[in-house]
Amino acid sequence: MIVNRMVETDFPEEFIEEIEKSQDALPRRIDANPKNVEKGLAKLVLTLIELIRKLLEKQAMRRVEAGSLSEEEIERVGETLMKLENKMKELKEIFGLKNEELNINLGPLGDLI
Amino acid sequence: MKIYVYGIIDSNDGIGESTCGLEKANVYNIPYRDIGVVASDLIGPMPDVTEDNILAHEDVVESLMENFTVLPVRFHTVFDAKENILSMMGDYYTDFKDNLNRLRNKVEFGIKVIWPAEKIKEHITSCYWKSGRKEVVSDDSPIKRFIREKFEKYKIDKEFTEKANRLVTTIDIFLGKSAAEKKLEKLKTENLLLDGVYLVEKDKQSNFKEAFEHIRSARTDLRYLFSGPWPPYNFVILPKKSRPLKISEQATMFDKIIQKQNPVGADKT
Repeated sequence: MIVNRMVETDFPEEFIEEIEKSQDALPRRIDANPKNVEKGLAKLVLTLIELIRKLLEKQAMRRVEAGSLSEEEIERVGETLMKLENKMKELKEIFGLKNEELNINLGPLGDLI
Repeated sequence: MKIYVYGIIDSNDGIGESTCGLEKANVYNIPYRDIGVVASDLIGPMPDVTEDNILAHEDVVESLMENFTVLPVRFHTVFDAKENILSMMGDYYTDFKDNLNRLRNKVEFGIKVIWPAEKIKEHITSCYWKSGRKEVVSDDSPIKRFIREKFEKYKIDKEFTEKANRLVTTIDIFLGKSAAEKKLEKLKTENLLLDGVYLVEKDKQSNFKEAFEHIRSARTDLRYLFSGPWPPYNFVILPKKSRPLKISEQATMFDKIIQKQNPVGADKT
């Protein structure tokens, strides 16, 4: 048991790791300067597109779950989502961006990724 | 000479025994009507952001907490002159007063809870496969495979979040009983189930601690970080309403007044 300035836990390392992880997930500012302005903007735009794509995906899954889509409609939705996901992969590759770089904190909804 | 500020207190009188602040400077109270700004003189340049300096700031705030209601001010808050402080107090007096009244005789406790996210997801996944799995599409084209995988992930994530919500609600039922206010954040990371702060009346501190001990002994599969009592860092509310200050001054002011500070800094763990 560690007791230090009114903080007590049996697992300090684990908490430090999780706190650091939660802080790393939130970029403090957009990293844009004359040398990487294109990438900086691409990151911002792709983050927003990723947000919209995930919202669409979630909405689609809710409708699938509710059983309100026919099999043909499910297939059409699936094709759209698959194409969107593939297009995003291509764009990320073009701008050299990784998945975890396209994160955004959605307040009470948590992080996008 | 500049003035370094530590906090705002519910007294316009002296702060009692001699207290040292940053760079061992004497800490004193600058009265404004019936409240005051606790500060020390800053002769040299802005103090560096070092663990010692942060803890020196923290020590002053915590010592104030013993005898007063205190609204902590962010580390590194410096004013050019006493007149600027008094002008700020004039503009924000009502808000400070409201906060001081609301936070009187209350302290903050922090609680963080880690759960074994990976194990829980594995369990949910295996339950999903074992029982009640609904086939959303019948054949096995790439598109249908894609949507099936997405749907399975959606269902597992949904159950994971619902499980987290249920557990946080259970924890909060115990802790919330002795708290006046709370701020809870769920799943900041997959493992960090709960990151919460509770505002607790001073005379209910032992009830709150007992409630925590009860949870800890009931759920030994979870890992806990419990901290406090702290000054009410996370419960000072300053509404961003129209002020007689210029826009640039407002921005600076709101940046300076602490609104949110992690109750458990890395330096304290």
